[in-house]
Amino acid sequence: MNERVAVVGYKQTKHTFDSPVARERMIYELVKSLFKDLGITRDDIDTFIFASNDFTDGRTISEVYTVPRIGSFMKDETKVEADGLNAALYAYMRILSGLYETALVIGFSMAGSEFRVPLTQAYTLDPVYERPRGIINFYSTAALQASAYMKKYKFTDEDLARLTVKNLQNANNNPYAARKEPTISVEDVLNSKPLYLPIRQAHVSAYADGACAVILSSKKAAKKFTDTPVWIDGVGHSMDTYYIGDRDLLGMEHLSAAAKKAYKMAGIKNPKKEIDFAELHTNFASEEPVFAEAMGLFKPGSGKDVVKNGDSGIGGALPVNPSGGPLGANPINATGLIRLAEASEQLRKEAGKNQVKGAKTAVVHAQDGPGAQLNTVFVVRR
Amino acid sequence: MAQETRIIENTWDLTAYQWKIESDALDLFVKGLKDKKILGRKCPQCGTVYVPGPTYCRKCFRDIDQVVEVSQEGTLDAFTVNLADVKGTIVEHPYITCTVKLDGTHSFLMGVLEGWTDWRSIKEGMRVKAVWKDVTQGALADLSHFQLTEK
Repeated sequence: MNERVAVVGYKQTKHTFDSPVARERMIYELVKSLFKDLGITRDDIDTFIFASNDFTDGRTISEVYTVPRIGSFMKDETKVEADGLNAALYAYMRILSGLYETALVIGFSMAGSEFRVPLTQAYTLDPVYERPRGIINFYSTAALQASAYMKKYKFTDEDLARLTVKNLQNANNNPYAARKEPTISVEDVLNSKPLYLPIRQAHVSAYADGACAVILSSKKAAKKFTDTPVWIDGVGHSMDTYYIGDRDLLGMEHLSAAAKKAYKMAGIKNPKKEIDFAELHTNFASEEPVFAEAMGLFKPGSGKDVVKNGDSGIGGALPVNPSGGPLGANPINATGLIRLAEASEQLRKEAGKNQVKGAKTAVVHAQDGPGAQLNTVFVVRR
Repeated sequence: MAQETRIIENTWDLTAYQWKIESDALDLFVKGLKDKKILGRKCPQCGTVYVPGPTYCRKCFRDIDQVVEVSQEGTLDAFTVNLADVKGTIVEHPYITCTVKLDGTHSFLMGVLEGWTDWRSIKEGMRVKAVWKDVTQGALADLSHFQLTEK
């Protein structure tokens, strides 16, 4: 049995809206350069875990053609049909078991150029009640949630626009982000193309081509990779029903449960005080206050004040998505794993212009399914 | 009593997807076929000769760019007599599908085996050679079949 697991290496591609190379070359180059950075070979990795999705990849057993491209030829390899942070949870458990000392986790997507995101996502909906009628999809589900939050807590379109601009400014300083809109204003967001009100185009995350690879290791093996490991001190995972009609979109009880579990494991009693920053997997800007509050980072319904006071900005009380978050790049399946890589970079003081000063403890989140049906939470420390 | 199952109709728009296919290995292979040559790539580290040839070695996990023309002769590795099609329908003219290892390579090429009269007399390890279409156009089908060169 291993007792502690660390993030010991990570790398992401520069995400784009139209990758010049196919996914096989993209992930091969990424993993090869990560190995080079760390001075290791594929023999140093005990188990390989993919995060990919047959629906968004458009082919069954979507990792089959890509397996040898991450160095896993003739090795122990498996796949998680969910976000990469789920794959990292899987890797974490494999290492804890003591059967493996090291794991490589990779998530990738061609969401920028190879598939129509809302259309393919709609095919994953409940096939009896939701899919055939065509009146609900991932975007409209997020809009229902946004509308509920905004009405209940008097969170205005302008508040949402300010939140969007905050994230896009962070994304602008993130070298990996696909979406660069350095001059975007609150006015621009308010006037952007309406999609499913209150959701407008500017609120939608930047679905992109890209990949992220993270290496986890036992405490024993960590020294081989780095002198500055980032420890995974708490994990939590929880899911709600798939059928949207059975869910409280605003309450997000399942996300609260996942966060509480991770905090308890990490010995965190007051997340508002003990967490230095958060990296959240938000597919839409409107999800940020809902998720942050469900995770106990801010008081319920405080979104308006948080925006007004700049509490979630890089210099604020509890920065949320200092990387810019998925509004800067959302390569589906890699997106939650990128949150872990970004948080690790912050904790190791490598975040450049987006650096959160003195950050020692972070919470990382990933979601999957319509309206964040499934959530994974990690607490990481340096 | 309620029915136990029922059918629900759904539609699926296949234009939801379009894939970028990596072209390096395929381009090299079909370029060779047009000239009636079989091209592959060789890893300078472990010496593995791949046909078709990818631009990386899956064993050494490194780039490989050494193009090699390989022999058009090789040995029969395995074969099956096709009596049915993928729908299970019995075919009128049974044929043989085989895997062949061309001399000096480490990959297997799949193809149709010809030059036999009684399939019971075919043995693994028999020598074969590649047979081309009369007119090649730079397509996988340019390599027509493998012909047994021994009885």
